[in-house]
Amino acid sequence: MASVTAPAPSALHPRAAAFTEGARSVERRIGLLFAATGTVLILLMGVLGLIMRLTQANVIDVSPAWFYRLLTLHGMGMITGALIAAMGALWYVLHESVPLRVGHMLASYALTVVGAVCVLVATLVGGFGAGWTFLPPLSFYPAGQWPVWSESLFFVGMLLVGGGFFVYCIDVLRQTTNTFGGLTGALGWRFLAEHEAQPPPASVIAATVIAFDGLLAMSAGMTIGLGLLGRTYDSGVGFDLLVSKNLVYFFGHTIANLLIYLVAGAVYVLLPRYAGRPYEVTKVFVAGWGVALVLIVTVYSHHLYMDFVQPRWAQIVSEISSYASALPVAVVTVYSMTMLVWGSRYRWTLASTLLYLGLMGWAIGGTGAVIDSIIPFNFRLHNTVWVVAHFHTYLMLTVVVWLLAFIAHLLERDAGRTSSRLARTWTVMLLLVGGFGLTGTWFVEGVLGVPRRYAIQPPGTAGYSLVGSIFGILFALGVLACVAQLVSLGRAAWAGRHYVVAERVDSWTGTHYGARVERDTFERPAVETAPWRPWDVPLAGPVQIWFGAAACVVALASFFPQIVSASESSVRYHHLDHAGHFFLGVVAGLTIASLPAVSRRLGDRSSLGLAGVMLAPSAMMLVMVPRFYEPLEHHSFEHALYHLAMAGFGLVTGLAASRLGRVGGRLSAFLSVGMVLLFAAAMKGG
Amino acid sequence: MSLHYGGPQIAIGVVFALLALVFATAFLVIAVQAGSDVGFERVHDVGYWLRRRWLALLVVVGVVVVGISLFDLPYASGGAGRTVVKVTGGQFFWSLQPAQVSAGTRVRFDVTSVDVNHGFGLYDPHGHLIGSVQAMPGYHNKLDLTLSEAGVYWIRCFEYCGLNHSTMESSFKVTRG
Ligand code: HEM
Ligand SMILES: [Cu+2]
Repeated sequence: MASVTAPAPSALHPRAAAFTEGARSVERRIGLLFAATGTVLILLMGVLGLIMRLTQANVIDVSPAWFYRLLTLHGMGMITGALIAAMGALWYVLHESVPLRVGHMLASYALTVVGAVCVLVATLVGGFGAGWTFLPPLSFYPAGQWPVWSESLFFVGMLLVGGGFFVYCIDVLRQTTNTFGGLTGALGWRFLAEHEAQPPPASVIAATVIAFDGLLAMSAGMTIGLGLLGRTYDSGVGFDLLVSKNLVYFFGHTIANLLIYLVAGAVYVLLPRYAGRPYEVTKVFVAGWGVALVLIVTVYSHHLYMDFVQPRWAQIVSEISSYASALPVAVVTVYSMTMLVWGSRYRWTLASTLLYLGLMGWAIGGTGAVIDSIIPFNFRLHNTVWVVAHFHTYLMLTVVVWLLAFIAHLLERDAGRTSSRLARTWTVMLLLVGGFGLTGTWFVEGVLGVPRRYAIQPPGTAGYSLVGSIFGILFALGVLACVAQLVSLGRAAWAGRHYVVAERVDSWTGTHYGARVERDTFERPAVETAPWRPWDVPLAGPVQIWFGAAACVVALASFFPQIVSASESSVRYHHLDHAGHFFLGVVAGLTIASLPAVSRRLGDRSSLGLAGVMLAPSAMMLVMVPRFYEPLEHHSFEHALYHLAMAGFGLVTGLAASRLGRVGGRLSAFLSVGMVLLFAAAMKGG
Repeated sequence: MSLHYGGPQIAIGVVFALLALVFATAFLVIAVQAGSDVGFERVHDVGYWLRRRWLALLVVVGVVVVGISLFDLPYASGGAGRTVVKVTGGQFFWSLQPAQVSAGTRVRFDVTSVDVNHGFGLYDPHGHLIGSVQAMPGYHNKLDLTLSEAGVYWIRCFEYCGLNHSTMESSFKVTRG
């Protein structure tokens, strides 16, 4: 008889074996699929970045029309690529403790990738170039540069990417809250209040915050995206541009910001494996993420500092939030990682070097961001390339570097080795010098007052672009050097994919020896999925159900003839009335489906539920255009049917939401009503 | 007109460069120390002790900087005794009315747009960026400035507005006397 254990992969810290789980093959596959797809997209978009910088340097000659197409594609493509890869990285570590569903993850993948293809076609074939933040109403003033279909396709693409992330967030939130005792449990608040002795793992707390805020941001994005999509087939749709800008940046800023948090959630698990010290979840950590939960939502409006008509209080809240949001990063995440590293006999491999490097990018890029978020400074830096400088610092030197580290980690573990010291040194030098060199030129130009998004740079500044391009090429070489090492590690991992060298102990003699053993022997068991329970519904117990019924009665008021006719006075009131109908439907759906007998009959239909909460509100917003409702105005029967249909969309949404569990269901129902309300706020007459 | 580094911006840039240097040094030191062998107990004790001070420092700096900044907000208020200059952006032009004031005038720029969002970025006669404010259709952003120096002030677009965004320029004259 011989007892068998798989030794810790030799690439990790010797102490890591005590707290490192073996990866299941599904985790490796999902992780690699997402990370590889994202990396390919990032590499392609990087070429566009260089083309743009070289254009600004007057080295190559790209027309402004093409420059702006490339700019739009580079922005959206980079964000999407990084998002896909980051979702994969967090999923990989989260799956160890949370039963995430592979089907939902693949749906997320499909939506995001199809969305990226739409954006690719809309920009390269259609010529769409309103920028990845598509600030309304620019897409509808193309200056002869792009046709209407490219606008529609771009918005469809953006909605699909947002939808992909929405699906991801719902599944993450549902499973973390299910596994760790509801929202307060998964956020660690029960541990904070000492109701529980053990906190959830760091990655679970991070993921719960990200998923929650991600859902809020995606809802805002889908609302404005649907409004804009509606405008592409009905030019009678009008926007309140200030509200629209708030929605656009709540979406755009938040998704770009969440990228780094997504990967950080994975780094909580990965970096300790090279430091040989597990990441400690302290009360300060929980509190830090609790603060982040709020601040991630409130910081976005620093994009509106120079819109003096934005309410003054919002500007000040945003300034305080922006500064404060740096505290959990500086004091908790980055700081505690350096504590793990200090004096740990840190194991320097390709992955671990990149993990460490990323911490520095975050600290320095974040400092540039905080400076820009002080209003009097922002007055002088707003929309200069300073902005481009700070976000490239943490996107290139943290997000991209960490994503490469994630792939390296996957492959190093399977290959049982890392790349050569020489190769690593060169990679790090190129990334550091190239990355900070490129962003350095932007910082300097920002100080000089060069505006961002200039196809043609102001006279006398092309030199900075030239220097920046050279550094950009060095950075690209660093990334390529890294990819080359990943390919080589991947080969080694592939060659040994069926076997691992395991440590055997001979039970007679007690001697240790290595032997090749089939990998499957060590497949870690999956985390058990809790069986579906009919009472896991948004409204639990008779009190809540009666409350739901009462809310329905109140919402019936939106159908009173007096209210309906009064609301016809403006588009906004009319949409608000529709929101009332929709609310009625949602609450009715939630209430009915929360009745135990009904819930049991409906069963566990989470995929259908997910489709419902996304499609029903979307469909409703797409039919709320003058083209559809104006002809009905004079036919009372059809008009009544139209209003009834609004409640119908709500009913479908409510029924669908009821299939997403307590937290997921409540939140998605709340968000759907919120979307319809925001839609009313953002829309004006034609 | 060619650009020149403005005073406040240089100060901001230097502070940032110094902070970046401090962080880079800290990360270098930690990387060097990573290879040593220190018990985690000890790292804990010293690390958490230092962390409380680090948090306190950041909070104090934040309160001071954010606090002071609130006294220097660019947002206009009041408005008596100001010469209003109506600034309108459009694809791809600026219209200013009047297009000229005399030096020392307290000016209120009333900024809007006729089509898409633009940004009104103003450079002084030496090519230093004074600041920018958004031009949003349907809204009027009001920026108060006292332009004490005579000369030609340059205007550039500070919000991406389409094909000719980077050449959407204009100027504003401040006359002596
Ligand atoms: C070799 C690397 C890269 C180069 C040379 C590069 C270059 C550029 C350039 C020239 C611009 C336009 C700047 C301007 O406004 O004048 C830009 C914008 C942008 N880049 Fe990059 N970039 C690189 C990597 C990245 C990465 C890794 C990301 C994200 C993960 C990224 C995301 C963005 C975004 C979001 C914008 C803003 C687009 C907009 O203003 O609409 N870039 N980049
Ligand atoms: Cu413009």
